[in-house]
Amino acid sequence: MVRFFTRPFAKRSRSAYRWFDERTGSTELVHKGLYEAVPEKGGWAYTLGSATLVLILLQLFTGIFLLLVYTPSFTEGWGTLNFLQTNDRFGAWVRGMHLWGAYVLILVIGLHMLRTFFSAAYKRPRELNWVTGALLFFLVIGLAITGAMLPMDQAAYWTLVVVTNIPHYVPGIGDGLRQLWRGSDFVGQQSLTRTFAIHIWVLPFLLFTLIGVHLYLLRRHGEFGSWVNYTPATADPEKELAERLRRAEPPYPTRRSERRWAVPRRTVEFFPTQLFKDTAVSLLFVTVIFVFGYIVGAPLSAQGNPATLTYVPTPEWFFLPLDQVLLLAPGTDLIFAGIALIGVASVLMIVLPFLDRSRERQPLRRPEVLLPGFFLIALLILLTVIGANRLWNL
Amino acid sequence: MLAAAPPLQPIPTSNVGGSIAVAIVALFHVQIATFLTGASFLIAVSEGISIARGDDRHERLAGGLLKAMAYVFTFGAALAIFWVLFVLLGMWGTFFIALTKITFWPFIFEAGLFLTEIVLLYTLYANWDRLRAYRRARFGLAILLAIALWWQQFFIDIVASYMLTPNGGDTNQLAQVLNPTDLPLTIHRTIGNIAWAGAIVAFVAALRYRRAKRRERDVRVEDIPLEHSVGAMSATWYTQADRARALRVAATNNVAFFDWAGTWGAIWAISLTALQPWIGYSFAKEVQLHAYPAWYRMMFGDISTVFLLQIFLLGVIFILGNLYFWRRMRASGTRGVRTQVLMLGFLVVATVLAAMPARFAWTYADMVAAHKTAAWWDGGWNNPIGTMIPNKVIALMVLMIAALVVVTSVVRAHSRGELRWGDATRRSQWLLLSLGVTVSLMMATMGVIREHSRQPFLIEGEITIQGQQILNPATQGQGVPSIGSTP
Amino acid sequence: MSTPMSRRRFLVRLTNAGAAVITLMLSIPAIGFLVSPLFQKRTVSWVRVGDIDNVPIGLPTPFVVAMPIGQGPPGPPVNRIVYVVKTADSRLFAFSNTCTHMQCNVHWDPGLSQFLCPCHGGLYDLTGNNTGGPPPSPLPQWIHRTLVDPGTGHTILEVQNTFDESI
Repeated sequence: MVRFFTRPFAKRSRSAYRWFDERTGSTELVHKGLYEAVPEKGGWAYTLGSATLVLILLQLFTGIFLLLVYTPSFTEGWGTLNFLQTNDRFGAWVRGMHLWGAYVLILVIGLHMLRTFFSAAYKRPRELNWVTGALLFFLVIGLAITGAMLPMDQAAYWTLVVVTNIPHYVPGIGDGLRQLWRGSDFVGQQSLTRTFAIHIWVLPFLLFTLIGVHLYLLRRHGEFGSWVNYTPATADPEKELAERLRRAEPPYPTRRSERRWAVPRRTVEFFPTQLFKDTAVSLLFVTVIFVFGYIVGAPLSAQGNPATLTYVPTPEWFFLPLDQVLLLAPGTDLIFAGIALIGVASVLMIVLPFLDRSRERQPLRRPEVLLPGFFLIALLILLTVIGANRLWNL
Repeated sequence: MLAAAPPLQPIPTSNVGGSIAVAIVALFHVQIATFLTGASFLIAVSEGISIARGDDRHERLAGGLLKAMAYVFTFGAALAIFWVLFVLLGMWGTFFIALTKITFWPFIFEAGLFLTEIVLLYTLYANWDRLRAYRRARFGLAILLAIALWWQQFFIDIVASYMLTPNGGDTNQLAQVLNPTDLPLTIHRTIGNIAWAGAIVAFVAALRYRRAKRRERDVRVEDIPLEHSVGAMSATWYTQADRARALRVAATNNVAFFDWAGTWGAIWAISLTALQPWIGYSFAKEVQLHAYPAWYRMMFGDISTVFLLQIFLLGVIFILGNLYFWRRMRASGTRGVRTQVLMLGFLVVATVLAAMPARFAWTYADMVAAHKTAAWWDGGWNNPIGTMIPNKVIALMVLMIAALVVVTSVVRAHSRGELRWGDATRRSQWLLLSLGVTVSLMMATMGVIREHSRQPFLIEGEITIQGQQILNPATQGQGVPSIGSTP
Repeated sequence: MSTPMSRRRFLVRLTNAGAAVITLMLSIPAIGFLVSPLFQKRTVSWVRVGDIDNVPIGLPTPFVVAMPIGQGPPGPPVNRIVYVVKTADSRLFAFSNTCTHMQCNVHWDPGLSQFLCPCHGGLYDLTGNNTGGPPPSPLPQWIHRTLVDPGTGHTILEVQNTFDESI
């Protein structure tokens, strides 16, 4: 019955599609995207990468809407957002989704890094994937903290003051660095203008460039999946490897030198299995953001007042470990040491693939990498929880 | 008859006697409760590993730990009830009733979880062997037990931290739960409990290893009683000759098992204790910020003698662990022995740096009065090397990093299959025994520090021990004590 | 070079030179602009704080003052606190309530008789010396001067919108 009505259109739409396809090559593109070979095992674990991308796009999307209403003005900025919170329920919802999107994004990008770290997905030939990913992590943190400075309420103003003061502790050039960011010695209108520009253009530009590189590299070498894909399943690894090579579609490299670790045991097509898993996980996260964005929303404290005597500046939750480091000791030298320590740890994280060059992928056989990694992660989590009561200032 | 209830009278013992009784019971309770909480975590982890990897040793360890938990819990529960009913209610009644009224819901939840713990623990204990056919159900029960115990600790931490930093929590429930020292205390205890349980595992394994190794050396079939242990290889009857061989095999197996168990426990103990210096420091920082008088008393005076003792014990824990791993790796001839020796150097230097006093006089005033404010190499009593900032902080960081390297080194040796279980010497087990004793001493020291820091208050700024008087005069004159708000 | 340059190599070099010049022409203004705040002169001006005759001795009194930023494009002045302290030995201080640790807002706590920074517990005494917690240096002071108001005869305090770097 349905066919009776759609058949005349079906014929015409088929030819219309053919016209389009001849000119754009869209079918080939879609096929290349959808029917890529991905490893069978580890599917759920590596949905986190696509979830991160979805969340970043969500931030871009909600951010554009906020751009339509917000003015980066020291005096008027708060008013625009306050109007949103009090008069526009949907606007407040969008703002809430932007905030919770940021929080969930930081969580998910952390989980994504944890997964790739654990399954050794940064080993040859995917080192640059990790490097771009680590840089993306820092860009996301940068975006989160510059975003926190924009609403110009008490929380935002004092975050601006305290965070732009951190470069002050770098010996020698510290004051200069601080001035470069703030635009002057003290925080004023210029600081907000610069931070706004950084948040909506400079960092997103770098972010999307690196995402492009990251995705390109991913497609080039194929998804890694889980480390179990690369352990021999039969008693004759060489034969198994030859069989795997025969079955594997590109992009998994089949050059002789990389055979040993590049080809997963079994592959399936990206569409529909993996795409379904990716969508399910993204759905979960977006639902959380959707719900929390409305129920909890984004708080907006009183207008930023530099002359306050009662407001207690509070770090964002993802800056709590840094806050704990700053708490450690008085004295300029040790504070710089704390910041330098964080800098060193960050650099080590970025160059991890060049530190861990062994071919071993099984986690239990890489304790010299996993144990320090887990130690660091445990410290981060524990310091966040220890400092958490600061968030409520009770 | 309907007159107001008479005011509560303290029972006729001295305050000193009451304090001593509380101190003794508290010392036992702390060591027992923390062991139980940590052991429940280790049981769940061990059982999970044994399911995932089909490893018998982990199952045997989990079963043995569970049996120990059941025994210890039985005694500990009786002690806790005794403590609450007679010591706390009887001797510190005013305080305890006030506290129960303020932190009513945390206490209720904690008590509910206590019941849950009883049910789960004894169910597991009675059915451990029977549930071997249903490994995942048993694993699930073990996880539930660990969860119940952790939440129990969480709720009692609300009460304990409220006593130190009340923070307006007598009127505001949220402020009570989120008082400044609650989360740091919970984190500190969670990590410490697992480390303590690991140290106990190492201690018991060391004793059993020594016995098993001795038997391997000079075993006589007639002298060895049959081993009945939960989760062990079930007893099967052989002929006498077979029995001799089976017992020798069991002895060898025991040797291998207890060697492995001792190292396993020590790894947990050292790796988790490696996190504690920073956690403890942050915790002390919160106390300093929100309960300054308590922080100052916590330091036990100008040169913080008891704190120096604590740092010293911490360093000793790391050194004992390092020594044990060194001897253990040497016994099996592994390659990473040099790392352990190098770390020993770092640990010793860091411990000495951390544990030295900042001046060789009891107080700063003494030093000034005697005109000896110069450094000790200039003839004075001052010790600039012993300053907290930055030297002791650096020493603590060195301890943390060195402990991490120590643990990584031994785990690496194990992952390469370089450790042959059964190789450890009987002599090296003394290090594990000392480790257990040192951790116990450490926990006792911390108990002393905690209680002393709050003196004379039981709830900081509100209720003292001496008369169990409530400081806020606005609430005097009522029959049943009520709670004043924070001054 | 001994061999004559080929046409191809010449073209490549010319292209490179052109691209380099384009890059230079783009980056000189850009980098210059970026680092310009470091070289801009600050416009320093005197700002009236108010009548300090009623400020009690030993009790820091906060005054809210609208400070011009003095640098960059013209913008609204920022409200800052000037803590006026008169000590028993007749010294006058005009403190900024910017903590020297992470620049949180410091306030006078009468219970502690010290300036307290709520962020990390930094403490300063009445004369601004850092006495406890993380702050590495004393409380910053505004450059100040006093005038006598011709009309009322009261002492008027004025500060410059800059810290006194000599302290």
